[in-house]
Amino acid sequence: MAAFVVRRFLWMFLILFVLSIIVFALMHAVPGGPFDQEKPLPPATKAIMMEKYHLNEPVVNQYFDYIGDILLPRVTYGRVVPDSAFDYLINIPLPAAFGDQATIRWVNFGPTYKSRSLSVNDIFRQNLPVSFQLGVAALAVALAIGLPLGIIAALHRNTIYDYTGMGVAIFGVSVPVIILGPVLQYLVGVQWKLLPVTGWGDFEDMILPAFALGFAQSALIARLTRASLLQVMNEDFIRTARAKGLSERVVVLGHALKNSLIPVVTVLGPLFAALVTGTFVVEVIFGIPGMGRYFVTSVTGRDYPMIMATILLFAAFLVFMNIVVDIVYAWLDPRIRYD
Amino acid sequence: MQYPHTKAVRLSLLVLLICAAFAVVGGVTAQSSGEKVLTTGINQVGGDPETLDPNLAQASQELAVIQEMFPGLTVQDTATGDLKPGIASSWDVSADGKTYTYHLIQNIPWVHWNSQTNQVEQVKDSSGNPKYVTASDLVYSWQRVLDPKTASPYAYVPADFVVGGDDVENGKADPSTLAVKAVDDWTFQVTAPDAVSFIPNIDGLWPTDPVPQDAIEQYGDQWTEPGNMESYGPFVLSDWQHDASITLVKNPFWPGITTVPQPKLDKIVYTLLDPAGQFANFQAGTLDASAVPVEQIDAIKADATLSKEYYVGTSPCTYYVGFNVTQPVVSDVHLRRAISFAVDRQSIVDNVTKGGQVPAQWFARPGLLAAPTLDSNPDLGIKYDPDQAKSELTLALKDLGYSSAADVPAITLAYNDSSGHAAIMAAIQQQVKDTLGLNLQLSAREPTTYFSSLENGGSPQMWRAGWCQDYPDADDFDRVVFRSDSTQNNALFKSADFDKLVDQARAETDTAKRQALYAQAEDILVNQQAAIIPIYWYTTLELTKSNIERTYSVTGQEEYATWDIGS
Repeated sequence: MAAFVVRRFLWMFLILFVLSIIVFALMHAVPGGPFDQEKPLPPATKAIMMEKYHLNEPVVNQYFDYIGDILLPRVTYGRVVPDSAFDYLINIPLPAAFGDQATIRWVNFGPTYKSRSLSVNDIFRQNLPVSFQLGVAALAVALAIGLPLGIIAALHRNTIYDYTGMGVAIFGVSVPVIILGPVLQYLVGVQWKLLPVTGWGDFEDMILPAFALGFAQSALIARLTRASLLQVMNEDFIRTARAKGLSERVVVLGHALKNSLIPVVTVLGPLFAALVTGTFVVEVIFGIPGMGRYFVTSVTGRDYPMIMATILLFAAFLVFMNIVVDIVYAWLDPRIRYD
Repeated sequence: MQYPHTKAVRLSLLVLLICAAFAVVGGVTAQSSGEKVLTTGINQVGGDPETLDPNLAQASQELAVIQEMFPGLTVQDTATGDLKPGIASSWDVSADGKTYTYHLIQNIPWVHWNSQTNQVEQVKDSSGNPKYVTASDLVYSWQRVLDPKTASPYAYVPADFVVGGDDVENGKADPSTLAVKAVDDWTFQVTAPDAVSFIPNIDGLWPTDPVPQDAIEQYGDQWTEPGNMESYGPFVLSDWQHDASITLVKNPFWPGITTVPQPKLDKIVYTLLDPAGQFANFQAGTLDASAVPVEQIDAIKADATLSKEYYVGTSPCTYYVGFNVTQPVVSDVHLRRAISFAVDRQSIVDNVTKGGQVPAQWFARPGLLAAPTLDSNPDLGIKYDPDQAKSELTLALKDLGYSSAADVPAITLAYNDSSGHAAIMAAIQQQVKDTLGLNLQLSAREPTTYFSSLENGGSPQMWRAGWCQDYPDADDFDRVVFRSDSTQNNALFKSADFDKLVDQARAETDTAKRQALYAQAEDILVNQQAAIIPIYWYTTLELTKSNIERTYSVTGQEEYATWDIGS
């Protein structure tokens, strides 16, 4: 098992490395640059802006600069004036013997062209926790609604419970968040004035966006749970459990449910990665300072370091979650072993 | 394994409990205090403004906040659009009209927000004396904005109005060679290469507002963060939740000037939201002032309360469609005129944009200094005229050798994709088809790709654009955009007569004469040559709660120092 995990992590870094090359090449191949805007800059001014961010250099050099800033540590001396192009995630002060305020600095994702005071690392620090909280809350909503709905529907197949539950699920899948969000906002926030319309910071700010985001996913989980549970309920070991005289509750919750969760866990991994790295629509509608908007605005604005950062972030989460899912499989189903 | 199912049961129970907690908690806590807090929005889909550094700012969202902290040497009166003294109480011009000497208001202190004491404090120098805004702060700002190391996207504007500006901007000369001088603490002098009457407008623009050298050197890129930032205007930055909100508090040390008095508000909270989010908050009562989502305009006008809170202000921008006059078929002037005459601007404004925009007859928006006005020039430029459109088409077909409009190959009309532009472009396409029988082929393009494709002569046959003022003068529209050698001239329109007129108008000092010259220039641009189709002059749409005692701006930027909150 340990060897398996280590191997998978090594693969993860290889995947991210290859991905970084592909994305870097692709984004520089797309026409237009970060300083093409509705009100055009004079060519001389544009050239100065390009030079500031070293965009006048060959793309290969730019790539090596970029990846070098992330992978290679460097040592600075003396007081460092804050500079959004040189902002490191890891800063370790060295003993005085190494020189005046010598500090090892490591992992710099570069500046964002769309802010003159913040670096990509600043945006990670400020926005990622927000998206993470929202994503976890949305996932909790999705599970809290989806699992019971799916279980009830499966146990009462072809009854009113089944139809109601699956009706809710189909509604959830069919109504996109771009509709559900503003409707919730209007009813709960504007009409009934129960919850804040937009904003972030308090628990109550989280409720509407988490629900809007989680509801559609709950539908997916409900349908998967139902289908899977129905299948498992026909397995031999369930008959055995019933033959032992176990109560129906123990049969379902203790024996059937765990086994039926494998397809659910399979989608939960990527879903978790998608939710915690931020969601553009929900963040814009509810005014949430998360990561999601950067997945879209970085591309439209040709904000190269931010494009790289968002894609690598998402990819890292995705690969990581898939490793976690594989580990959970082994726990859920004793037949699965990694040797 | 021992009863693993009990864990699963507990887990689902926990999840259910969390869900229940979500359902139970509710209720908005109303804020109430003696403070006068104005809550408003800044239109943002993309999150934060790029910067709050005057030397680096270029977008109107940034300027809205910056101008509350850094009033210029001169300021534009938001109520009338006229030029008024700012932090310079007066100024003199040299005999040759090139050197301007500004007399600063004395003892305007630099201040910053102290987050420990939650108070606005004066900035002290090393010996403990308060620091004041002096001429050397201005010298520093001019040198910094033009230094290529600063990489200011707006440096090109002041660069044209100071001797040595272009050389410094292009790295050919040291910033210290700029013709800016601190004669003494309270006297600042700047020499321009040409005698131009609107220099005081330029010198009062934000890129050269005084900036604090010590804070910039100490905090680098982070000098614009609350606490670090030193400013001097009516409001001070006290909080910046990136991608969420910006809070300014009253600066008790601001002495107040006629156009920018001491503020009556204690605090302004800008929430960074798109117009739909602002409007929802406005309806819920959590924003005092809001932008207006286009799709809500009809509903707002129909609502008894909202219609009273709705306000249509002017905005110094022009929406237009350009031709590339070197491209096939549209190189024919009669065809261009035919298409321009066929566009029913009033119908677009009434039925598509609906926001009270003014049908545009020419490019330089009335209200700019020296721009022609509709009162004095009701028939200047070009208007919807289907009959004239048809007769121009006849001439065009003869020129081009086609027997009917249907034979003319479809003309590409490209635009940066958005629902608003798409609706306007579709209306133009329909009107041209109905009136002339010509086919326009709409081409919606990804915005950044689109904007980069317009440059270097690569613009398609027809393309949409908008232009907003850098400085409130017709020069910034006609000469800056459409002079033959302008890099912004994506129409590739070249006219020696036009160039002569805009050059003459630039050098002329008498405003009435300048206005007449720009009227002639406009006639060449939009009528005789029809290089562009002016569509409308922009408006800004706002909603403000009835208890807000406000002024109404004609410059597209609000001056919150003149606002108050009533009971």
